[in-house]
Amino acid sequence: MLRKTVVLTSLLATAAFTGPAIAADPIKIGVVTPLSGTYTGIGQQVRWGLELATKEVNAAGGIMGRQIELIFEDEEANPAVAVQKAEKLFEVQKVDFLTGTVNSGSTLAVGQTAERAGKLIATTVSFADSITGDKCSPNVFRVNARAGQQSTALAAWVVKQKPKAKVYFLGPDYEMGRSTVSTFKKTVEGLGAVSAGEVFAPLDSKDYTQYFGQLRQAKPEVLYTSVAGNDTVRLLTQMQDFGLLGNMLVVGASGTVTSQNITAVGAAANGFGTGVGYSTQIDSPENKKFVDAFKAANKADPDLYGADSYGLIYFYKAAVEKAKSTATDKVRDAMRGLDWMTPQGKKTMRAGDHQAVQPMYVVRVNDGQFKIVGNVSGEEAVGADICTRF
Amino acid sequence: MRDNVTAAPVVDRLALAMRASHVLVAIFVVAGLVFATVGVAMKDTFFLRLATEALIFAGLALSVDILLGYSGLLSLGQALYFGLGAYVAAVVLKEIPSFWVAMGAALVASLVVSILAGLIANRVRGVYFALVTFGLAQVAAKAVYNTRALGASDGMIGVPIVPIDLGVATVMSNSPAGFFLFTLAFIVVLYAISAYLLDTPFGRVLLAIRANERRVPSLGYSTRNARLAAYVLAAVVAALSGALYPMLRGFVSPELLFFTTSGNAVITVVTGGVGTLAGALYGSVILTVLKSVIGSMTEHHLIVIGLLFMVTVIFLPKGLMGFIRPSIERLIGGGSR
Repeated sequence: MLRKTVVLTSLLATAAFTGPAIAADPIKIGVVTPLSGTYTGIGQQVRWGLELATKEVNAAGGIMGRQIELIFEDEEANPAVAVQKAEKLFEVQKVDFLTGTVNSGSTLAVGQTAERAGKLIATTVSFADSITGDKCSPNVFRVNARAGQQSTALAAWVVKQKPKAKVYFLGPDYEMGRSTVSTFKKTVEGLGAVSAGEVFAPLDSKDYTQYFGQLRQAKPEVLYTSVAGNDTVRLLTQMQDFGLLGNMLVVGASGTVTSQNITAVGAAANGFGTGVGYSTQIDSPENKKFVDAFKAANKADPDLYGADSYGLIYFYKAAVEKAKSTATDKVRDAMRGLDWMTPQGKKTMRAGDHQAVQPMYVVRVNDGQFKIVGNVSGEEAVGADICTRF
Repeated sequence: MRDNVTAAPVVDRLALAMRASHVLVAIFVVAGLVFATVGVAMKDTFFLRLATEALIFAGLALSVDILLGYSGLLSLGQALYFGLGAYVAAVVLKEIPSFWVAMGAALVASLVVSILAGLIANRVRGVYFALVTFGLAQVAAKAVYNTRALGASDGMIGVPIVPIDLGVATVMSNSPAGFFLFTLAFIVVLYAISAYLLDTPFGRVLLAIRANERRVPSLGYSTRNARLAAYVLAAVVAALSGALYPMLRGFVSPELLFFTTSGNAVITVVTGGVGTLAGALYGSVILTVLKSVIGSMTEHHLIVIGLLFMVTVIFLPKGLMGFIRPSIERLIGGGSR
C-alpha cells in the first residue's frame, strides 16, 4: 500500500506541475552527476561550474528572457542508477536538456536513453573516445576534450622536444590502462617516434624496480605511463631512487599526476608532462575572470571539470538563442558547427561527430605546480571524425 | 497458531505459511494491476518503468531468499547470475533480436555456470559459503570489467527494443504498461515455480538442512544434492530476471555484477522478510521507490536508507512480510476450519 500511496502522490504532483509551457517558465536543465561515492569530487566541480554559469546567465536576463533552473540527481557513478534518474528528469520533471554524467558508461547509457526519449544531452567530463566515435549518437554532444585530444596534444609536444624519440611505455594492467597506452603509442609512432618496448604492471603494484632492468636496457629517451593514484607515487619515487629520472623525459595520462597525489610524489614529479584541455594558468581575460569568480563562490580552484561544465551553460545558451527554441531538432541543428566562448578560449562543436574542438595545452610539473609549457591548436589535436551514424 | 494446527490437522504449519504467501502475492498482483491502470490513465512512463525495474530486481531478491530462507545459506554474490543473464541476453539480442532465444540462452548459461560454481561453493557452509559466493562474483565482475569484447568498464549499449511474442499477443519491451504487466506475470511465474518446488519434500529437506545439516543424512537424505539443486534453482531465477534488464534499459554495465547489486538484494530480502518469498517482491518495490524518492530529495539518501534498514531489522526482525504473514495465516487457517 505504501508503494501505491507514494506513487500516486508523485503522479499527482507531476500532473500539477506540467501545465503548458509559457514564455516566462524557466528552462530546466537536468544534472545527473555523482553526488555520493568515488566520484563525488568530480560531481562537486561539475555542480560548482554549472551553478556559477547559471547564476551569471540568470543575472544577465536568462536565455531569451527565461531563467535557467538546474535540477540535480545523484547517479552514484553507476549507469543503472544514472539511466533511471535521467528518465525521471525527462519524463517527470520534463527537463529541456540534460548533462552531468561522469563515467563513460553512464554517458553512453544515458545518451541512449535520451535518444529513445527524443532529448539532448551533453557530457562535460567523460573521456572515452567511443562517445563521439564508434558509439556516437545524434542526441549526445561532448564539450570537453576526449582522451584522443589529450594524447595527440602530448604526442605532438613530445616529438617537438625529442624528434624521432625512443619511447618506452609502462601502463597498469587492466583494460583502461592498456587502451590508453595503445592510443598514445599509435599517435606518437604516427609522428615519427619509435617504440622501445612496453610493460604492464598489475594495479596497486608495490615494487616497480623489477621492471627497471628492461627499462634501462631499452635506453628510451621518453617514458610514457598511465598509472594513477598511489601507483604513480611508488613508480616515480622508485625511479628517482634508482637514478632513472635524470636524462629521461617522463610524460603520462592526465590522471597520472593530479592534485591528489602531487604532494606525495614530491620532487620525483618534477618535469612530468601531460596533455590537458584546461589549466587555471591559461593567460586570457576570460579565464582570469572565471577563476576569480569561481574562487569567490566556492573557496576552491576550478579544475577542468568545473571549467568545462561552466562553458556548457554558455554553449546551451548560444544554441537556444540561435535556434530561438528549445525543441530537440532545432537545438541540435543550432549546436552543430556552433562557436562559443569558454574559459579555455573559443570552442567549436564539430557537426560530424558532436565533439568540441578546442585548443589543448601541455603542462609540466615544476616545484609541485603545473606550468603550461606548450599548446596545440584545436584542429591539430582533435583527430579524425569517425562517427558514421549521422 | 498451534490452535489452528490442531483444529485443521490436514494443513501443517509450513503449508499454511506458504498459502499465506500466496495470498500476499495475490494482493501484490492486484495492487500491480491497479497501478498499471492508473499509470495508463495518467499516460505515465517513468513510474511504470521504475516499477518494472523494481520487479526485475525482485527476481534477484527472490533468488537470494530461496537460498537464505530455505537452505539457510547467505549468498553475497547472486549478482553473478543476475549479471550473467543480463550480459547473455544483451549479447544474444544484439545478434538475434528474439526474446525467446535470449531467455533460452540465459537459462542454459546459468544452468552450466551454476552447476560448476555450485560444486565449488557447496563444499562449504555458513560464513565460508558467503565468502566463496562473494569471491566468485568479484572474479566474474573483474573479468567482465576488463574484457573489451563485452564493452569493458563502459558496458554495452545498443540492445534493441524487442517484441515479445506470447502467442496470443505481442508485447514490445519499450511499451511502459505492456512490459510492466509482462514482467509482473513473469516474476509471479518465477515465484510460483519456486514456491511449488519448495513446498515439495525437496523444500522440506532444505528446511531440515537449515535447522541441522549434520542430522539430515542420518534421516536418509542427501544434503549435497539438495543444496546443489537449491543453488541451481536460485541461479536460474536470478539469471532469467537479469535477462529482462537489458530489454528494459537497452544496456548492460559491469556494475550489475558488483557487490552493491548483491548486497541490495540481501537488504531487500531482510526488509521484506526472509523465508517468505513474497517478501522479496514487496521488499524490492519498497526499496526501489524509497531510493528514487529519497534520492531526489537529498544527496544523503544512503544514510536515510541505512537508518531505515536498521530500524526495520531492530523493530521488525522477521521483515515486513514476517510481521504481516502470521495474521494472514490466522485468517485463512480460521477459514479452513
